[in-house]
Amino acid sequence: MAEEQLAGDGASHMIVADDVKKWFGPFQALKGISMTVAKAETVVIVGPSGSGKSTFIRTINRLERHDDGRIVVDGIELTDDVRNISQVRSEIGMVFQSFNLFPHLTVSDNITLAPRNVRHWPKKKAEEKAMQLLERVGIPEQAHKYPAQLSGGQQQRVAIARALAMEPKIMLFDEPTSALDPEMIKEVLDVMEELAQSGMTMIVVSHEIGFARHVADRVMLFDDGNLVEEAPPDRFFDDPQHDRTKLFLSQIL
Amino acid sequence: MAQAVPTQQRPPLWRDVRVLRLVAQVAFVAVVAIVLRELFLNADFNLSRRGRDLSFDFLRTRAGFGIKEHIISYTSNQSLLRAFLVAATNSMFVAGVGIVLTTVLGIFIGIARLSTNWLVRKMAQAYVEVFRNTPLLVQVIFWYSGVILTIPRIQDSVSLFGVVFVSNRGAALPGIEGGADFSVWLLFALAGIVAAAVVRRYRTRVHDETGRPHYRFLFGTGAFFLVAVTAYLLLGDPFAIQAPEQGVRNYIGGTQISPEFVGIIIALVLYTAAFIGEIVRGSILAVSKGQKEAAEALGLRPGQQLRLVVLPQAMRIAIPPINNQYLNLWKNTSLGFAIFFPELINVTGTIVTQGGAELQVFSMVVLTYLGISLLISLVMNIVNRAVALRGAKL
Amino acid sequence: MSDPRVGSGLQEDVGIPRFDDRERAVEVAPAKEPTTPAEWAHANLFSSWANGIVTIVAASALGFFIYQLVKFVFVGAEWAVVEANLKGFAVGPFPLDETWRVWVSAYLVAVLGGLSAGASRNRITWTKTKTATGSLLAVAGAVIVVLLVDTLLVLALGFGLAATAGLMLVAGRALRERLRRPLIVAWLLSFPLVMVIVVGFGGVSPRLWGGFFFNIVAATFGIFVSFPIGILLALGRRSSLPALRTFSVVFIEIFRGVPLVAWLIFSKFVVGLLLPPQMSEPPDIIKAFIVMTFFSAAYVAEIVRGGLQGVHEGQYEAARALGLSTTRMMAFVVLPQALRSTIPAMISHFISLYKDTALFVAIQVTDLLEAARRSAVGLEFFGRIKETLLFAGLLFWIVAFSMSRWSQRLEVRLGVGER
Repeated sequence: MAEEQLAGDGASHMIVADDVKKWFGPFQALKGISMTVAKAETVVIVGPSGSGKSTFIRTINRLERHDDGRIVVDGIELTDDVRNISQVRSEIGMVFQSFNLFPHLTVSDNITLAPRNVRHWPKKKAEEKAMQLLERVGIPEQAHKYPAQLSGGQQQRVAIARALAMEPKIMLFDEPTSALDPEMIKEVLDVMEELAQSGMTMIVVSHEIGFARHVADRVMLFDDGNLVEEAPPDRFFDDPQHDRTKLFLSQIL
Repeated sequence: MAQAVPTQQRPPLWRDVRVLRLVAQVAFVAVVAIVLRELFLNADFNLSRRGRDLSFDFLRTRAGFGIKEHIISYTSNQSLLRAFLVAATNSMFVAGVGIVLTTVLGIFIGIARLSTNWLVRKMAQAYVEVFRNTPLLVQVIFWYSGVILTIPRIQDSVSLFGVVFVSNRGAALPGIEGGADFSVWLLFALAGIVAAAVVRRYRTRVHDETGRPHYRFLFGTGAFFLVAVTAYLLLGDPFAIQAPEQGVRNYIGGTQISPEFVGIIIALVLYTAAFIGEIVRGSILAVSKGQKEAAEALGLRPGQQLRLVVLPQAMRIAIPPINNQYLNLWKNTSLGFAIFFPELINVTGTIVTQGGAELQVFSMVVLTYLGISLLISLVMNIVNRAVALRGAKL
Repeated sequence: MSDPRVGSGLQEDVGIPRFDDRERAVEVAPAKEPTTPAEWAHANLFSSWANGIVTIVAASALGFFIYQLVKFVFVGAEWAVVEANLKGFAVGPFPLDETWRVWVSAYLVAVLGGLSAGASRNRITWTKTKTATGSLLAVAGAVIVVLLVDTLLVLALGFGLAATAGLMLVAGRALRERLRRPLIVAWLLSFPLVMVIVVGFGGVSPRLWGGFFFNIVAATFGIFVSFPIGILLALGRRSSLPALRTFSVVFIEIFRGVPLVAWLIFSKFVVGLLLPPQMSEPPDIIKAFIVMTFFSAAYVAEIVRGGLQGVHEGQYEAARALGLSTTRMMAFVVLPQALRSTIPAMISHFISLYKDTALFVAIQVTDLLEAARRSAVGLEFFGRIKETLLFAGLLFWIVAFSMSRWSQRLEVRLGVGER
């Protein structure tokens, strides 16, 4: 990729991945992924399990270390430099499939833990922010409950609020609704849609085709460690170019 | 904001994650090495000031003290090394006998804990609560001082059928006196065991093919006895069973066990059995209720349910904690020191008094305890794997 | 725990409703709960021939044993040996005129204990049997105390102790939640405070500690100090840095694999050799405490390691994704969850440590057990070892048993394993 593209023209490229590869022992999970994400763009990644989708987004915030290629987030290159890693992480928020809320803390404490201990916000400021975010995701009344007392959909919304509390520029979603009962999926997707429309840069790994069609700016197919096709949703779903995409779509639609 | 991206370069060393990890480890190893070196130098200095050193030569010197009982032969003329080995084998013997006895008792207690009979259940529970919560040392001293030393003196020995005697000098049981062909007979006995295994296999096959009850245990034991008795008759008295006689001050002949040995064994067995009982009970309960229900639904009787379905699964759960208890029993043989049973701690104390060399002796003690612990764990690991393969899948 | 009647193999079938051949599922009424003593005995003791025989055999053995025990306690025994040596059992060679320090500490513990018991959410349901046994035991205890203690002052102080605990229980019930935080702090401070009371202001050096007091203090010291060391070792064992991990493993395995007696003797004879020659050799008991602390830390490390393994991988990931540093992640997210699940195992370890303090006799400490043994060797009470051992054993047992019961109740309340 040309150096200028990596540098970014003005504010457009939030995430740049250049020929990213990753091995787990002898197994190659990522076979050279190259892609970009522009500011305020929402990218949805689909694909069969084992295709490397989760692995890829986890390399973006260094939960996994990429073995080859380059990753640049908001102009900062992701390397072994602890300062770089720390800066990158502070710009990215992540939402997990299994929510991973801290069970021993209340909802409010879950949300305020990181701002108070990483950004050193005073307690009052953090708690006000937490309440704001809980309003935004629609469950302000749950602030003093414990995660175990909430439904799955509510827990995931808290997880989103927790990630947003750090005021990230980018949000990563790793199959956010896969562990939810069907009736709760909508409430989470609605929150994610509102987030996308408010201008957040998002990468979402998901099987929710409706969401992809409706909200995504671009849809990507991963298969067997490769980025097979990427296109705006209309073209992706209605006029796929690659055979692999056609096969995948025929299996899920 | 995007800025001019530097071309890919190594981050400065002091911020590189991988360099930091390496440095942390090197620093840690360095600190540990320095501390160890300090200790070593101190020891060296302190020892040389007292005219001693760190060699192991003292092991060759004559022991000069007696050891009351020993599994391997020993006289006071033998080396200190020999004395150490005697103590180690004494401890190992106690552990070996103890492990066998405590397992039997422990399984019994565990099953009693689950009995439908209220009285048996409560008695087993009382047993566990009493023996588990009293320090082992109290129990050791109790059995030795409180019970064994207070039972009749040798002149008034309690005797069972004239062949077993018990007094405060210990116990005497009938022993085996090997004749000229004893080792030959032992070989035959071994052959008998092989024959028993073969017969057992055969009967199992018959059972599989025809469905007739196999009685393989009976057939197997029968085969063994057939071989053993035939060999005995053919060889003409390869061994004799010698009953002990009650002498004036001690027993003559037979197998004699000292009161110290009895004391430590009883205490160890009773104490550890309480823990093993709880483990057995816990592991049987841990086998999910659905297993027992499925077995019951198939028409198996309670005895069969236990034997064929529950126990094999319970065993797999029980083996790691039981392994732990065996290790504890082995380490607890050291409590024999309190009643002067010649186990490792006691005798090495005497060795140190004779020949100095505390550090060397202590390292030998550490190695012995660790070594046998490793051995026990290894054996239990093999058992674990054997049971896991034969039993239900993961 | 689940039904204790799970297949013992010693018993015939309890009636199971079966489908009869007429293909009508007959609705069988649930087995009648035995109501009269006769019915109960039939169901639980004599439900079959084999069972009946077992009951008779067990009952006769039990009866014989109890008869012997009662005969010994009330007829054969000479309890004067305990009465005369009570001070030795309690505090060993502790100087008599300093024993007020022990009393103050005991009252401190009684106050905290009473308050905690009252404020705890653990409610004991007082069934008829429990109240009956409870009162019986209390009365028996009081009678024994009165019979054994000959000094009026000690007697008064003893009953005062019980009364204080009771009073604090009521106070605790009244104050409940407001006490939680201050109580935790108070307990944490209690041990250092007791140390100050006993040793400070011209107090008594550890060399003179003994008896029951020593056992309790040594065990508490062991747990307190080994706890943070154990956590560090557990973290080290799980570290991704091989050097740290190897060191932790070696440390843990060596200290766990060698019996405590050997370590205690090591502390007496070998530690002195390893110290720099300029340093004056610390007293035996201090060296022994240090060694015992490392010993306990190795076990604590294994317990904490189990707890850490129980924390979901996702928790680490979420914390890292939020940008929390490793230290903060451990302190705020991982350890609180890990440690909570280890509480029953910790209590069990404390009980073991407490039992192990009896081994200090190997380095000539006169703890409760040694005091019991010695008092039966002097001319006056020669051979009265059974009485003293029984008494000492009972004291040890009461503490261990109560802690183990408490731990069982905690396990149920914490729902260990459920989250």
